[in-house]
Amino acid sequence: MFGRKGKSSNYAYTAARVKAKKAHLLAEDDYSKMLMMTPQEISRYISEAGYTKEMTDLANRESGLNLLEHATYANMANVFGSILLASTGGLYDMVSAYLTKWDNWNLKVVLRGKSYGLDADGIREDLVPAGILGAESLEKLVSLEADDDILAAFGRMTHITFPQDVLAAYKARSNLAEIEDYLDKRYYAHLLEVIRPTDRPSLIFRDYVAKEVDIRNFETILKLKLDGVRGEPVMKYIIPGGKQIDAKLALQLASAETVEEALSEIAQIGFYEDIKDSLDPKAATIREAVMGMRKYEMRQAKKFSHLYPLSVIPVLDYMIHKENEVNNIRAVARGAESGLDRDVVKGLLVI
Amino acid sequence: MSSKEVTPTRSVLLDLKKKIKLSQSGYKIMKMKRDGLIIEFFEVMEKARKMRAGVSSDYEAAMEKITIARVVEGEIAVKSAAYALKSEPQVKLGSKSIMGMMVPKVEATSIHTHLVDKGYGVISTSAYIEEAAVAFEKLLDTLVRAAEIETTMKKLLDEIEKTKRRVNALEFKIIPELKESERFVKFRLEEMERENTTRLKHLKRKGEAAE
Repeated sequence: MFGRKGKSSNYAYTAARVKAKKAHLLAEDDYSKMLMMTPQEISRYISEAGYTKEMTDLANRESGLNLLEHATYANMANVFGSILLASTGGLYDMVSAYLTKWDNWNLKVVLRGKSYGLDADGIREDLVPAGILGAESLEKLVSLEADDDILAAFGRMTHITFPQDVLAAYKARSNLAEIEDYLDKRYYAHLLEVIRPTDRPSLIFRDYVAKEVDIRNFETILKLKLDGVRGEPVMKYIIPGGKQIDAKLALQLASAETVEEALSEIAQIGFYEDIKDSLDPKAATIREAVMGMRKYEMRQAKKFSHLYPLSVIPVLDYMIHKENEVNNIRAVARGAESGLDRDVVKGLLVI
Repeated sequence: MSSKEVTPTRSVLLDLKKKIKLSQSGYKIMKMKRDGLIIEFFEVMEKARKMRAGVSSDYEAAMEKITIARVVEGEIAVKSAAYALKSEPQVKLGSKSIMGMMVPKVEATSIHTHLVDKGYGVISTSAYIEEAAVAFEKLLDTLVRAAEIETTMKKLLDEIEKTKRRVNALEFKIIPELKESERFVKFRLEEMERENTTRLKHLKRKGEAAE
């Protein structure tokens, strides 16, 4: 789908490149040090930890923690772009399919910005070109005015055809959620389709994505439960292809009257241990549960990181850790800026 | 009205008596209104006190949630989700009467939007952002209700002050002055009657002497 077909996968070359890059990722100690720093010190520390170029490039446009946030995203986009450029064959297909989530992110940013009436500069500022669409393609999307044109252009660029019922529902309610939810469901469906379980590393990758689908689905169920939506209407937002939460279990969980009831249904599922204490049936929050699931997801990634050095695994592992690093840096810096307690910020880090 | 400006006639006396009666009954009613407004004010003040505490706690909760959302999801994601919101809260202004005084009645509609109608994707939008959005909706709702109560309290205070001034004016100025005028007219009328009687007696005596 994304080209470079006919070539064989260059696992050895790409894996060697990401191995070198992985050595530069921040370690747990770095976060402990950063937690003791002021936002300015964190910015300086990050500048010296591989983000120098992006911090300098964006310094004339952004300042403070916005500079740090944009620079870390820009660095991540550059790194992912270089991995994509280096990979070929089946590896390229898998990496590009994995990275299309950033194209979806960018489309959402463009559509939301346009619906709000934001100017092109305002929209451009929030784009993260870490997907397969380059700066030129994104610029084209930003320059278009009508939603229909943007969706059509995006469809041409990524070979996505938006179903008529999705477009009709979007137009009828002027609700971007219809498009966004379709994109998210399609992302996972496509990713699972591209990862052909022909060998053990691909199976591990597929397994990881399926577990991620479980987590997304459970989070969706909890979010809707908090909002009072239960039962069959929830199924519209369930992503097919989960590892342990199939449609039947999803419906059972969605139909559960209370969070406690839902918890008893998932006792056998991997992340149960991580979230069982944080899901207080009386609490009106699911933040701790979501954080528990994110930490579980990271632990799953760490489990396979050392396996199969000449496969898609090290590449995937690096991309997961790089994105996580960007999130953690931002969390530490924003936490320090807002004066949050260090222990609270530490609890929000996925290490 | 100074007593010296009053013409001492019987009709003026009757008029003054009527005015005194009216002022006294007005004074009584105004005093009752003032007391009623004070009772109402204390009730509203208690509500306002609770509401202010509610605004403070809701504000703190909302700020805590938005801070956490910005920490976990980043400024870009939070900002982008805010751009997607479709519905705008509507505020309906009306009025209601408390002891004849019109106070505003503020009603907010469509403050809370369900997750599926917010405008951003249900699947990808993080629970942190959604919780922050819900917390701000709650804060807005509390603020609208607080605005109604605070305005009512302010209007009640103004009205109590106004009524107090009227009661004092009736009690210490208007009624005493009217009574003073009444006393003056009564006195002048009695004086005139005495003069008249004397004059009649004098005329009678003169008449008898002439015979």
